[in-house]
Amino acid sequence: MGAVSAFGVGAETLWRQLSGGTSGIRPLRHPEAAQLRVNVAAQVPPTFDPGAYFPEATLTMLDRSSQFALIAANEAVSQAGLAFGTGQLSARTGVVIGCGVGGETTHDEQSRRLYKDNAVRLHPLTIVRIMINAPASQISIAHGLRGPAFVVASACASSNHGIAQAMQMIRSGLADVVLTGGTDSCFSFGHLRAWESMRVLADDTCRPFSANRRGLVLGEGAAVFVLESLAHAQARGARILAELAGFGMSSDARDIVAPDANGAATAMALALADAGLKAEDIDYVNAHGTGTRANDVVETRAIRQVFGPHAEKLAVSSTKSMHGHALGAAGALELVAVVCGLRDGIVPPTANFDQADPECDLDYVPNTARALKIRAALSNSFAFGGLNAVLAVAQI
Amino acid sequence: MPSAEEISDWIFGIVARQAKVDVSKLSPASTFKDLAVSSLTAIEVIFEIEERFDITFPDQDANLATDTLQHLVEITTAALLRKSGQASPG
Repeated sequence: MGAVSAFGVGAETLWRQLSGGTSGIRPLRHPEAAQLRVNVAAQVPPTFDPGAYFPEATLTMLDRSSQFALIAANEAVSQAGLAFGTGQLSARTGVVIGCGVGGETTHDEQSRRLYKDNAVRLHPLTIVRIMINAPASQISIAHGLRGPAFVVASACASSNHGIAQAMQMIRSGLADVVLTGGTDSCFSFGHLRAWESMRVLADDTCRPFSANRRGLVLGEGAAVFVLESLAHAQARGARILAELAGFGMSSDARDIVAPDANGAATAMALALADAGLKAEDIDYVNAHGTGTRANDVVETRAIRQVFGPHAEKLAVSSTKSMHGHALGAAGALELVAVVCGLRDGIVPPTANFDQADPECDLDYVPNTARALKIRAALSNSFAFGGLNAVLAVAQI
Repeated sequence: MPSAEEISDWIFGIVARQAKVDVSKLSPASTFKDLAVSSLTAIEVIFEIEERFDITFPDQDANLATDTLQHLVEITTAALLRKSGQASPG
């Protein structure tokens, strides 16, 4: 398990802050900040120096989103104690990374050269930096992984769809090990302007499920996990972090942006069924919880629909209140929270929660983490486009 | 600065076209909700008004589901007054 987030590099760094209830949301750092209405964000801190992680010859090929993915993958591989070599294991290891936006930083930089500076030529590595599969390819190249490698795109659900795909590859015997997770970094002027026009961004902070919530706060980062079958992990004596027990996916087939409780509920129910878990087996739901007016009410309704009376006993929290909405990386960052929560018996809180909303009537673990033995958990991701993907995680 | 009537006519025209209803069906008290205007269409209306008058609404000025057309006219007028350097009345 590895991560890059608003708290810097490292999965444990991320977890320490999430379990401490600390929000990584800060005033937006951007050259055009003065012109933007977006004024807060959960950005990877300015102390992050890609040059400390990559030689120049590699760095020149990497968009910021690929830098994050590679750093997270390196941490995950190192923690897993895997040496892929050049033999069978490298041929049987795949890479599936969720990415919602892709090489946006590079795209914006080069567009600026073209349209603003009237440059007649762009950087020769623009294409290899921008291509949305770049993070998966870079991880494959860095570790010599010769199995299937690709990126899965479903906006804010990209990580969860990708991780579900990786799980299928292990189950079907297509691969023995898959490096999977998600990455995104999209703090370009153009992208921020586009989000402004949607009028879904908060101008204070991210307050999921709180009556005074004002929208989502964009984040960035990556998280990558080493996924393998139980037998494979046991045979090599791996330290197993958790069991990825199941997934559920559905599509609303209705509105391009407005969430639908039925679609969300279907994905949760399918994840439970796939994992062979009953509603009563779940102690914690890491919510999609964007902090928009619409999502939080609809997600609450969907959780009630799936869990019935057990919904009253669930701990539900949105860690987006701390790591922001990292789009294609969101589900992967949230899986770090779930896996560490299971390991340590701690539910990370919903930060910035200060006013109950009658339409959001579950236990959102406001502001302070809670000690709780989590037997199993769900992690929700629901994307623009009406695409839902839910992961079920259990104690090993 | 356009007259109050011009502002109102433009906004009613934009809403009627986006909501696909006849402008005669609109009243100052109409809301996007009454007109069954989706949230996406609502932000297109806001965008079109901003483009037409070269103004930018602060994020929290418009509650897209429940605001009346009269409110849209008022926030547009206020934004135009800000732009022309005059204080917003009231």
